[in-house]
Amino acid sequence: MTESRPEPIRTDTRLNTQEEITARVKALEALLIEKGVMTTAAVDRLAEIYENEVGPQLGARVVARAWTDPEFKQRLLADASAACRELGIGGLQGEEMVVVENTDTVHHVIVCTLCSCYPWPVLGLPPNWYKAPPFRARIVREPRTVLDEDFDFPVPETVEIRVWDSSSELRYWVLPQRPAGSEHLSEAELAELVTRDSMIGVGAPRPVGSGAAA
Amino acid sequence: MSTELRTDATELGDARRRVEKLVCDMPGADRPFSEPWELRAFAMAVAAYHEGHYEWSEFQLSLIESIRRWESGDGGEPWSYYLHWLDALEHTLAASGALSDSAALDERTRQVLTTPRDANHHEARREPVTIDPARR
Repeated sequence: MTESRPEPIRTDTRLNTQEEITARVKALEALLIEKGVMTTAAVDRLAEIYENEVGPQLGARVVARAWTDPEFKQRLLADASAACRELGIGGLQGEEMVVVENTDTVHHVIVCTLCSCYPWPVLGLPPNWYKAPPFRARIVREPRTVLDEDFDFPVPETVEIRVWDSSSELRYWVLPQRPAGSEHLSEAELAELVTRDSMIGVGAPRPVGSGAAA
Repeated sequence: MSTELRTDATELGDARRRVEKLVCDMPGADRPFSEPWELRAFAMAVAAYHEGHYEWSEFQLSLIESIRRWESGDGGEPWSYYLHWLDALEHTLAASGALSDSAALDERTRQVLTTPRDANHHEARREPVTIDPARR
C-alpha cells in the first residue's frame, strides 16, 4: 500500500476497483460532511430507505436454503463464506464469515464491539443502532436485558445467550430457527420469513401466515 | 424497538415514494444496488439535492452526459451505472461550488486507501465475548 510504488498488477481487478471506488465514496462523504454540504444523518436516513435493496434478502436466501437442505446447512456451518459463494453471494467484508446456529438451548447475537464490522454480502449495510455505542456496549454487558427491553425480544430463561464479536478478519451472523408450522412452505416462501434482525440475533423470523412478504 | 420500527415504516414508505418520484425518469433508474458504495452514492446525491445545493435537473443532465461519454467512448471501461452516478455527483457539486477542490478529494481517497479497514480491529475473536447462561 505504499504510495511510492507503482500499482501492482492484480489478478482480481474487480475487487481492486471496488475497493478504490468504495474509498472514493467514503472520502467524498467525509469531505461533504466536513464542509456542511450535508449531514451524516441525512445520508443515513436515505440509505436506510433503500437498504433492503442491497441487503438482507441475500442472507434470507441462504437461511432458507439451509432450512431446506441439510447438506447445505452442514457446509454453511463448516465454512459460511464458501457455502455463500455456492449461491453466488460474497464480496467485500464477507471474506471470512462464520454462521452460528440457534437451537432450543442456545441463542446467538452478533455485535462489533469496536466499530461496525458486519457481514455486508449477506446482510447489506448495518442499521444505525448496530453501529451506535449503546448497543455495542450493552449487548455485551447485559444481552438478555437488551434483547428484552430494546428489541422486545425476550429470550426464555432456559436458553443460553452467546454474543459474538465480529472483526474485520471474522464476521459472524446467525442462522435462526425455522419457524414452527413452516414444513409446507417452499424455499422462496421460507426466505420471505427471514428478517434482518433474526440474522443479527435481535429478533425472530416472521411467523408463518403473517403475510408480511416484504 | 419493534413498535418504533413499525411506526417508522409508514414514514419510511412516504420518504421512499418521494425519492422514487424524484428518480423515476432518470436514465437507468430502478437499478438495484449491487455494492454498498452504490447505495451511499445514491443517498448522497439525494441528500445534497434536499439541502438545496443543486436542482435535480442539473444532476440529471450531468448523469446523462456521463453516460453519453461512456457510450461514445471505446468501451474499454466496464459499464457501471453508479460509477456514472458518482461522476455526475462530483461534477454537479463542483459546478455548484459545494466541492471546489478535487485535489482534496483525491488526497482523502488516498488516505482512506492507505488506512487498513478497521485499523484497530483486525484480530479474529473465535470465542463468544459474552455468555449469559441459561438460568433454569
